[in-house]
Amino acid sequence: MLDVRGVSFAYDGARGPGSPARPDRLESRSHVAVREVTVVFERTQLVALTGPNGSGKSTLLKLIARVLAPQSGEIIFEQRNVRDWPAKEYARRVGYLPQDPDPAFPMRAIDVVVSGRAPFLGRFEWESDADYEEAERALALCDAGDLADRYLDEMSGGERKRVFLARVLAAHPRLVLLDEPLTALDLSHVQQFSALLRDIVDRTGTTVLYATHDLNFAAAYCDRMLVMRGGSLALDGTPSAVMRPEVVRELFGFEARSVDGWLVPRVQPQTPSGRIP
Amino acid sequence: MTGSSRPRRIIGPIALLTGGLLFALIAASTFGAAAVSWRAALAGDPTARAVLFDIRLPRALLAALIGAALAVAGVTFQTLLRNPLADPFILGVSGGAACGAAVSTALGWARIPGLVSVVAFLGALAATAAVFLLARRREYTDPTRLLLSGLVLNALFSAVILIAFALSPQSDLAAAVRWMMGTLFGATWSDVALLGVFVAVSMAILMTIANDVRMFAFGVDDAKARGVDVERIQRIGFVVSSIVTGAAVAVSGIIGFVGLLVPHLIRLIWRRDFRVLLPLSALGGATLLVLADLASRVALSSSELPVGAFTAILGVPFFLSLLRRSR
Repeated sequence: MLDVRGVSFAYDGARGPGSPARPDRLESRSHVAVREVTVVFERTQLVALTGPNGSGKSTLLKLIARVLAPQSGEIIFEQRNVRDWPAKEYARRVGYLPQDPDPAFPMRAIDVVVSGRAPFLGRFEWESDADYEEAERALALCDAGDLADRYLDEMSGGERKRVFLARVLAAHPRLVLLDEPLTALDLSHVQQFSALLRDIVDRTGTTVLYATHDLNFAAAYCDRMLVMRGGSLALDGTPSAVMRPEVVRELFGFEARSVDGWLVPRVQPQTPSGRIP
Repeated sequence: MTGSSRPRRIIGPIALLTGGLLFALIAASTFGAAAVSWRAALAGDPTARAVLFDIRLPRALLAALIGAALAVAGVTFQTLLRNPLADPFILGVSGGAACGAAVSTALGWARIPGLVSVVAFLGALAATAAVFLLARRREYTDPTRLLLSGLVLNALFSAVILIAFALSPQSDLAAAVRWMMGTLFGATWSDVALLGVFVAVSMAILMTIANDVRMFAFGVDDAKARGVDVERIQRIGFVVSSIVTGAAVAVSGIIGFVGLLVPHLIRLIWRRDFRVLLPLSALGGATLLVLADLASRVALSSSELPVGAFTAILGVPFFLSLLRRSR
């Protein structure tokens, strides 16, 4: 469905924040964020994109979402170079959720979600009843049907994340890209949201690629895990291939041991104390 | 889900604000220093006709157009820059225009009718162009750099204005200061026609990109991922807003507050996206400035007060009460 072929991207801080470097200066004075990444995505998969901070996860997602254009290599979506897709056509098929999006002015959940239908609208066209029905369906799919008339700024972090996921899904994309959707969620919400992603992949047949730092939950719910390091794709495999103490030590610099398939940090055991009042 | 989830009807708010604007225009034509009546004017009384049709009506219409221009520019800048503090003067438009006016006054050009306005308009455009060139780094225009460049250039313009005033002929200073405070005194039908064209064309262009402009609500990356040509939409929005602001400033001088306040007022009443806010802000800005100008004319019988002061005096209490009532 989507082929990333030898894609590289470098930022040039001297040209302003988020500015790409000129292709001929990739190595000289810029920061290479993604280096020669090649990876293929198939339909109906839940894929976790992991790796330490600054390893290039966000940049890779932005490249696939067409927010940034690769300086070398190419990305092919459904047999066509991403560069050659008309912008709105591509936006209907590939949905992207930036890290912590925040509307500049107060908005209700239903209005946020229905704005996900924007790539389908003509220049002077307004959302139709059918668009609102799609939005309501997407909210229901994300377990957020009761939030429709509430304002984003009065929601908890977990509720907001579900609303924004619904916004992406309202366009029925074939590929969903989520940049760290699990940050700032408590353990129970991380589990709920991970299970929700699994459920959406199984029910809609879409492929979800999401950046995350939570290896354990990723391993529990994903079909596949990618590990990035220093801009390169260091590992692409099943959860069981990633979730090994020696792999985690090598790629994340993290000392862990495996307990029932979960990775647990190596720390001095403490004597439990404290009570629940 | 309920029908209330789909507030797409725009006719109600537009009808309401259009009614308000018509009421304001009638009030502004009816009241003033001279006691003349519509009945006398319609019966053919030459004095009444002159006061109503050659003085008050063009002035009221010009106020409406300026209010609309400033509010439209304000809502566009606020949306594109995702910044609630952005106003139509943010890109140095007012500073550039004032600079043009002050320098031409210092050169003694104030005695040639219309010349100060032309130079002010050119100054506004030159300032906007300068801000863009400063903010542009090769192919990228960074909003933060844009805001900073506008702020810094405005400071430079203030310095130039002070120097120009110090060098101006004493006799021309009063007119220059009046211009800086903003005034609609001496409005003509040709002013109305000229600014009317600017406002109509700007509105038309902004309406054609409104569906993309509203997508800036969640940031530039999000808009790009939704298929919006971010660079192009930003450029069109900034340039059109700056030109219409420059045109308004050229005919009236600097009238603060309308462009900052009106979009927020509209947003507090109707929490809607840019496609709705744009026409509603135009109508709201027009109504507010017509009423403010009326108040500035009739508050004292002896002289006119600065209209910019009355936009604040009328707008602020209304705004604060809305702000208190909103969540």
